[in-house]
Amino acid sequence: MTIASQSQQKIDSYLDRLRQGLRGVREEDTRDIVEELRSHIVEKAADGGEMTAARIESVLAQLGSPEELASQFATDNLLARAQSSRAPWTILRGVFRWAKISVSGFLVLIISTVGYMIGGSFFLAALLKPLNPKVGLWKIGPHAYSLALGMTDHRMHGHELLGWFLIPVGLCVGGGTIMLTSHFALWSIRRFREEHRLRQPS
Amino acid sequence: MYDIVYCMARTLPADSPSPDKWEVQLRKGSLELAILASLWGGRLYGLEILRRLESGSDLIVSEGTVYPLLSRLKALGLLRSEWVESDGGHPRKYYSLTPFGKHRASEMASFWLRFSASLNKLLAPLGKEK
Repeated sequence: MTIASQSQQKIDSYLDRLRQGLRGVREEDTRDIVEELRSHIVEKAADGGEMTAARIESVLAQLGSPEELASQFATDNLLARAQSSRAPWTILRGVFRWAKISVSGFLVLIISTVGYMIGGSFFLAALLKPLNPKVGLWKIGPHAYSLALGMTDHRMHGHELLGWFLIPVGLCVGGGTIMLTSHFALWSIRRFREEHRLRQPS
Repeated sequence: MYDIVYCMARTLPADSPSPDKWEVQLRKGSLELAILASLWGGRLYGLEILRRLESGSDLIVSEGTVYPLLSRLKALGLLRSEWVESDGGHPRKYYSLTPFGKHRASEMASFWLRFSASLNKLLAPLGKEK
């Protein structure tokens, strides 16, 4: 193997690992980041002379591990996208990244996941109600309630509470919980980004 | 070597600041201003910004910190970037200040100058004691 192709391979393998770490980031942004670092590595390693394997090693060492570098790029990128798209899935993906690097991110992830699950269940129950008689909000004991989505059957021992009203109530409660959860997550993201960076352009 | 942003991200707001964290926060805050200031004279690409920071200031700059920070400053609307083909044949990503970035940089700079001048007055006796 020639020295040139060996050097090229070192750079490629570093950038591949960087690309792996950027999963979830938009393809266009990923390409931008990878190409910018390729340009940095090539120019710095060839600075005033021949590009040798040892020089490339030292340039890559100065950049740090590709996984850590990717995490720095990706966390803010995904949180910024969550803020602009406001879709629950994008929000959760951003918060999931955030949870990997800080305890506050982890707490926001737990609360948001629970919020979306509760909201989603009510919403789903409202949609499934016309299709399946087992779906409903059931009182199954003196202090026990169950929101059945069709998997369990409480018709023998339970008492159904809302009947067909489950549809409007489920849509409102479900939609409302999802919206509140999104508001909470976006508010937390905004606070985190403001605290750790500069202000957003107003 | 401090990996500034990474340390910051791991620092919880509730933690009481130890001297080390204080230094990390100070460095991080000033690095953003230093990057904006380095672009005051016109567009530069990543490596030029790094060299400018190393030669023009005593800031310890980690390369792995500057690139994500540049991308973040761009996402915040303070910088814009463009790809330009170099003489060497490979493309370079140039950064420049947006109007908002210029406004923000001069706001930050004038605050910094006022703040450090008054703090220096207060710190002068401490330096003499040493």
